[in-house]
Amino acid sequence: MTVMDRLKRLTGEEEKVAGKGGRSEIVSDLRRRIDAVMERRTQRIAPLQERVFREDGAKDILEVVGGSILENDRGACLVRDEVLQGAERYGKMTVAEMKRFAMEHLALLARDGRLTDLNPRDALFLDTETTGLSGGTGTTAFLIGLGWFEGSSLVIRQIFLRDFADEAAGLRLLREIVKEKGFLVTFNGKAFDVGLLSARFVMNRLADPFGDLPHLDLLFPSRRLLGHRLENCRLGTLEEQVLFFRRRDDVPGHEIPARYFEWLRCRDGELMRDVFEHNRFDLVSMAALSTHLAGLVDADPRNRREMEEDLLAAARLRLNRGDEGGARRMLEFLLQEGQWETMGLVVHEAARELSLIHKRRGEWDKARRLWEWMLEHRLGDFFATVELAKWCEHRARDFKGALEVVDLALERGGATPDERDDLLYRRSRLLRRCGRDAE
Amino acid sequence: MAKLTLDEWLARKESDRRFTENIRALKRIPPSEGCFEPFPDWLDPRLRTALGKDGIARLYSHQARAVELVRQGRNVVLVTPTASGKTLCYNIPVLQGILEEPDTRALYLFPTKALAQDQMHEVHGLINETAANIGTYTYDGDTPGDAREAIRRRGHVVVTNPDMLHAGILPHHTKWQKLFMNLRYVVIDELHVYRGVFGSHFANVIRRLSRICRFYGADPVFICCSATVANPKEHAERLLERPVELIDQSGAPRAGRTFIFYNPPIVNRELGIRQSAMMPARNMATELIENDIQTIIFTTSRLNVEVLTKYLKDRFCKGKPVDDDRVTGYRGGYLPNLRRRIEAGLRDRKVMGVVSTNALELGIDIGDLEACIMVGYPGSIAATWQQAGRAGRRRGRSLAVLVARSNPMDQYIAENPDYFFSRSPEHCRINPDNLLILLHHLKSAAFELPFRRDERFGAENIEELLGYLEEKGVLHRVDDRWHWSAESYPADEVSLRSINPENVVVVDTTDRGDHRIIAEVDWDSAFTTVHDEAVYMVESQQYHVDSLDLERKKAYVHRVDVDYYTDAMTYTNVRVIDEFDRSYRPPVVVEQGEVQVVRKVVGYKKIKFYTSENVGYGDVNLPENDLHTTSYWFTIPRETLGGLPFTRAEIIDGMNGLAYCLHHLSAMLLMADIRDMDRCIGDKSGRWFMQKGAAGRSMADIPGRVPPGDDDFDPTIFIFEVYPGGIGFSELLFERHDELIESARSLIESCPCAHGCPSCVGPTLEVGPKAKTVAHAIVDLMVNR
Repeated sequence: MTVMDRLKRLTGEEEKVAGKGGRSEIVSDLRRRIDAVMERRTQRIAPLQERVFREDGAKDILEVVGGSILENDRGACLVRDEVLQGAERYGKMTVAEMKRFAMEHLALLARDGRLTDLNPRDALFLDTETTGLSGGTGTTAFLIGLGWFEGSSLVIRQIFLRDFADEAAGLRLLREIVKEKGFLVTFNGKAFDVGLLSARFVMNRLADPFGDLPHLDLLFPSRRLLGHRLENCRLGTLEEQVLFFRRRDDVPGHEIPARYFEWLRCRDGELMRDVFEHNRFDLVSMAALSTHLAGLVDADPRNRREMEEDLLAAARLRLNRGDEGGARRMLEFLLQEGQWETMGLVVHEAARELSLIHKRRGEWDKARRLWEWMLEHRLGDFFATVELAKWCEHRARDFKGALEVVDLALERGGATPDERDDLLYRRSRLLRRCGRDAE
Repeated sequence: MAKLTLDEWLARKESDRRFTENIRALKRIPPSEGCFEPFPDWLDPRLRTALGKDGIARLYSHQARAVELVRQGRNVVLVTPTASGKTLCYNIPVLQGILEEPDTRALYLFPTKALAQDQMHEVHGLINETAANIGTYTYDGDTPGDAREAIRRRGHVVVTNPDMLHAGILPHHTKWQKLFMNLRYVVIDELHVYRGVFGSHFANVIRRLSRICRFYGADPVFICCSATVANPKEHAERLLERPVELIDQSGAPRAGRTFIFYNPPIVNRELGIRQSAMMPARNMATELIENDIQTIIFTTSRLNVEVLTKYLKDRFCKGKPVDDDRVTGYRGGYLPNLRRRIEAGLRDRKVMGVVSTNALELGIDIGDLEACIMVGYPGSIAATWQQAGRAGRRRGRSLAVLVARSNPMDQYIAENPDYFFSRSPEHCRINPDNLLILLHHLKSAAFELPFRRDERFGAENIEELLGYLEEKGVLHRVDDRWHWSAESYPADEVSLRSINPENVVVVDTTDRGDHRIIAEVDWDSAFTTVHDEAVYMVESQQYHVDSLDLERKKAYVHRVDVDYYTDAMTYTNVRVIDEFDRSYRPPVVVEQGEVQVVRKVVGYKKIKFYTSENVGYGDVNLPENDLHTTSYWFTIPRETLGGLPFTRAEIIDGMNGLAYCLHHLSAMLLMADIRDMDRCIGDKSGRWFMQKGAAGRSMADIPGRVPPGDDDFDPTIFIFEVYPGGIGFSELLFERHDELIESARSLIESCPCAHGCPSCVGPTLEVGPKAKTVAHAIVDLMVNR
């Protein structure tokens, strides 16, 4: 008996034995189970909304997306090039403006000093569309989108695998381009795209060009700089709320793998039109986002930002990167210029960060004045109270003064139960120390 | 009262006639001298020194042979007793290989995480003493994310388990490039564990590993260790699908051991009822623990662990909270922290008695126990030796007692000690080409590397299967290659160890504000252990199951203290789908083939502690469990049975008794676990059936069904496999039908009971007063024609 016969019997696909009534009923459950084995995971993924493409009217992909077939020593793949002129506008920026980032700012964002020696035209923007998100060697990047600046234009090159056999040629081409460029810019590429491509190079026995190429993954600085005012840090959200750029009829990311599998089956180029467009927009957004984030961390605090919070976030990013001086200038600017009546929280946070810088540096006088100022303006009462009380108690050895600070806070109220406990405990200790001094 | 030593205690028991009259065998296995050889010339001086620091100046003969063969690039399987220094057989060649060529990599596979941890410490010790820079790491589900990258690059020796290899390493092989490119040794310990379903999966994982190795140009040597089984070479070659050299002559000196087979006395000859095996086991354990003789008690079920732990805790721990750990349970389902605490307690002798399932049978380091009591035959000779080996791994003297239960397998072993002591133990069998298992692994393999048309993967013609997967849309073929083309991660869809990878979590809701997870139960046993109203036990604490939520895979329980436990009742129905083989043994037709099995839990019994009285029933409403598998069966024409001078009801009782006997004997003949098989009496049409569950429990009848008339059925006994698709047992039973029936005849004939007992056709109360007589008549009819 052949394997297929056995398998078909197991799955009930073949009504082999006549006269055994109800057999199909008996095996239909097994059939369902085997089908469930086959499809256990894919069931969870939303199916294509509605098939608007059909096999008989399948359109040639070259007609739909343009581009041409490129051949090299590893085979062939589809390559689509497009030049976005400097004057073209996407949301709040023109293409020419997207290139206006300072390399020192990118170095700060990427936490990689090597970037300062490079040039904006060395940037390679990279974004892939894949057959899944689960990772592992069974996931393929079927569309590799690349972007770089030439003059004031942004060149987009999309490498598309018409099927799995195109992969080696596509990767070979990718490798050649990567080797020409100085650094990589991605969105979540550290966790996803680059690791996935590295695996594909190994699978195709090609040397991995990424090695220790400098890599700015925009996801992390976006979280730090903009996470405070966005519901999430997805690229789409950043586009709409920060870059003021809205896509129309964008294909949802989770539908893309299913589209590709469908393309493999019926070869209708229409299936891929939106996917190419989606990938292209991702690349443009990454370019715009790079410039936007670079502007946010500009060392000159007078440089106009859209929101005060962004300046605070930039100061914090600089603090995180070890640039205390730069952070300090930004914080001082916020406290001088900020309209603290309306921007209470930002000013409070800025004062807090700055006071902690002073404290670390032992600039006690400045620190103390900030805490007093905060208390006077009723900003961050608990933090300022505790810090000031600690200063009085441990630095100035002025227990009475410390006690007054704590009593004032208790009098004012508004503390959470935990904070109140903390204050009461502090108070009782201070009372003891005052008493001991009196004796 | 002065404490007795083990020897004194034994001497006392041996002069106690009430004890000795139940002894069926008492073997004193003498200590034996070792057989040594010098270190080989090529041994690196650093390794020589490191071994010297451990007091090793020469090798046992089997170690010398193993390291030499491995050096020649031959795959080996070692079959030597516990504590014969097996680990050196692989650690020496592996470390030598790394010292000679620092890029060398080795992969160690152990069946459990705990065992991997344990062995890792051992290799680590040896490496430290060589003072060489050799990285050894365990890589399993507990390995923190940030450590993984370092292990992939720098781990010379990666210690892991088959599940992790299957789901964590192979599907990400590109990240392990360094390992696979330089992989020269693969070590597989506890090879005999990889049998049945687990073994069939494992063989496929090895196929996938070999594929990945070929991709990276590596061709590692396999070094396997196994407990004593009858077919180690054949089994290893079937698992690895490559030639393997067998080393089975141990050169290690052996400590002395006393091995006792104890058959509890018959307390009611009329009903053939023996004293429960738990009783003498409990008494012996109590005496041993009282004398501070550290003792491990193995039982064959989780339930018995809990029951016996409760008895012993009642004796040793009541009112003495300080000594609460003196006796403890241990089984799968306990959370890892608790297990680690118990293991440590055993090592520093805070725990003097532990009651365990076979979870502790493998080489987890629990120190030197002195005595081992097995309540019931562990199901195979290899497992029996391995459990016995938990006592006295290093110390001179030790004791192992096997207390027989009433079932036919135990009775056969207890009454025929030569079978155990002289015969080679069980065969390991696998069927890596079980279609369901194969399909799972084909998917995983295709995920890992595209399949080429000319590739082989096991014995089947995989082109057809690949075509099937292509048709299903999970593979996409371009020219002569099949590529994975689905979003899923196929290795996550299958567990190597059970049919259903899903678990049910047991949640203790006693404390309203603090719900706690106290155990996990695998999907299939959830139906019988945590159904609504069941009493579930963990560490001898009883929990009442308030509800079983299958959708959310949770069982909600609260703590109770009642004097009973519950035992589930099930019914089973088998329908034949297709016959593969048929032979005519007049008047009986013997067949094997594919069947559809429907099983359902319909209720439970409440059973009182100590007296085992039945104190109540309840209904359970759970969905049916479907199983598509292979079975062996035979049909006796109703005319033939009609010629016997018994009523129809008596004949059904007799069939039942015979099925009981055959089920147990098949497990023994095949040397498989009794739970790998189940039985059912019915009609080939599946129109009626009546059933006893695996543990010999009975159902009155099937709700809502009318018993069949006299002339519309041909009684058929089914012995079927519980793994979907089967793993080859049915075919073997079909081939050994005559042997099976003959051994059933001799067991029934020679059993001293009057009307049937648990040792032959089942307890009279359950199978009916005439069962033994009728079963005897039926086998005679079958044998004598």
